[in-house]
Amino acid sequence: MDQYVTKLFECWNCSKQRIGLVILNQPIDEQFFHVLWSKAKIRACADGGANHLYRLTEGHRESFLPDYINGDFDSILPEVKTFYTEKNCKMMETSDQDLTDFTKCLAVMVEEIKAQKLQIDTIVTLGGLGGRFDQIMATVETLFHAQKMTDLPVVVIQDRSLAVLLKEGRQHHLNVNTGLEGKWCSLVPVGSPCLTTTSGLKWNLDNQVLTFGQLVSTSNTYEAHDPKEGRKPVRITTDRPLLWSMGIKPQ
Amino acid sequence: MDEFAPLDCLLPSAKIRACADGGANHLYRLTEGRRESFLPDYINGDFDSILPEVKEFYTHKNCKLMETPDQDLTDFTKCLAIMVEEIKAQKLQIDTIVTLGGLGGRFDQIMATVETLFHAQKMTDLPVVVIQDRSLAVLLQEGRQHRLNVNTGLEGKWCSLVPVGSPCLTTTSGLKWNLGELRACRPQVCPPTQTPKHTHTDIPEDHLPVCTILFALFTWPVLVRRHSLPLTAQISSKHPLMLQLMQFVRPRFRKGSHLHHWV
Repeated sequence: MDQYVTKLFECWNCSKQRIGLVILNQPIDEQFFHVLWSKAKIRACADGGANHLYRLTEGHRESFLPDYINGDFDSILPEVKTFYTEKNCKMMETSDQDLTDFTKCLAVMVEEIKAQKLQIDTIVTLGGLGGRFDQIMATVETLFHAQKMTDLPVVVIQDRSLAVLLKEGRQHHLNVNTGLEGKWCSLVPVGSPCLTTTSGLKWNLDNQVLTFGQLVSTSNTYEAHDPKEGRKPVRITTDRPLLWSMGIKPQ
Repeated sequence: MDEFAPLDCLLPSAKIRACADGGANHLYRLTEGRRESFLPDYINGDFDSILPEVKEFYTHKNCKLMETPDQDLTDFTKCLAIMVEEIKAQKLQIDTIVTLGGLGGRFDQIMATVETLFHAQKMTDLPVVVIQDRSLAVLLQEGRQHRLNVNTGLEGKWCSLVPVGSPCLTTTSGLKWNLGELRACRPQVCPPTQTPKHTHTDIPEDHLPVCTILFALFTWPVLVRRHSLPLTAQISSKHPLMLQLMQFVRPRFRKGSHLHHWV
């Protein structure tokens, strides 16, 4: 089985991590924004995400121009659209009503990464885990689509939660020893029951089926470890896509 | 046929009220100045979230404090279990269990809310509805035809069907994008914005097509309440189907006014 090492937080503390950054239509977490922006080789806003970027970067907007803004443009404010158009950000109207702005933004990003031959390790999304409940569910749906679009991990961050959809048929090694990890973590079989095995968690699974109504792992945490040695990676295998989420320590 | 109006619960009043652990902190804060008028029947949990002063206050006011330390179930699940028992024991006539909170904050706790809705289906036949900000969610039981009255005037623009946990064979009517004879794989999104259908068609049970649900995202303009015909959505599914309804149009009540009806 492939070993698949997911470097979830190395986008913070490893200057070599190169990311693609997507900003969605949710308040931007300022504590993450600057470090992610600086590590990004390509940056995009999905529709109303541009409003939040515009607001957050008041006073130095020219230093924070996205490479492109996509969407059906029903959320972006006229003044925001005008500003970024004048600054020559690519405005890509993606009016396909069968897909969300987030999915379309990712699709464009994957194409741009290929076209520009960018070396990217992870695509990081700010927003998507709060607000309208159907849009939280739509984020999960986009993560399923993303697996068909790219092999890159697509990570979603909002407030102090991070979520990533783990592909089936691989052994995932999650490095959770960056010092940025919060207390909780979770494994949720969002689309179907998942036959799962883990190690490194306080409550591990041993070839057990995670399924709604019977067994879902929330409020889990990491196994105790010797502070001198640091946490071992969490290992997870699953036979179906499985949603990992975790808390981020307040900075 | 299961028929209910999801937003009816916003009209007064509750016959039994409870807080799950730290929910009591929010109640305490919100009702400052008139706390005695808003006493829950019980507060349950492992009490790792409730503040000491809050716990003391409600204990002195003779609210039942029920320590439920079972670590395999969330405070929400345990709270519901107690509520179902109390409803039986007191022979209360209850139509719906409404939950405030559960759809925001820590992401794993949002997922835990969904898990609780699955457990709830095994505990009770009553609909268990969850509301936070301007979202409402309810898990539709499989094997039934659900008929949702969405003409209260409180409905917002959007609604949504999400097959959490497994693919769902589904049929709908009354939505802008209905689900019919379609073969599903894991979810695909349906177009999110269109004008509403203002009539509904009953699907005779013997003609219910078997089809697989897609993750369908719908919107519903505010105009719906101008129509006199009852607007209902009918949904049937072979597997539990999470229905998330409707952002509220705008607050129907003045801030805090719904509290007036609690006493």
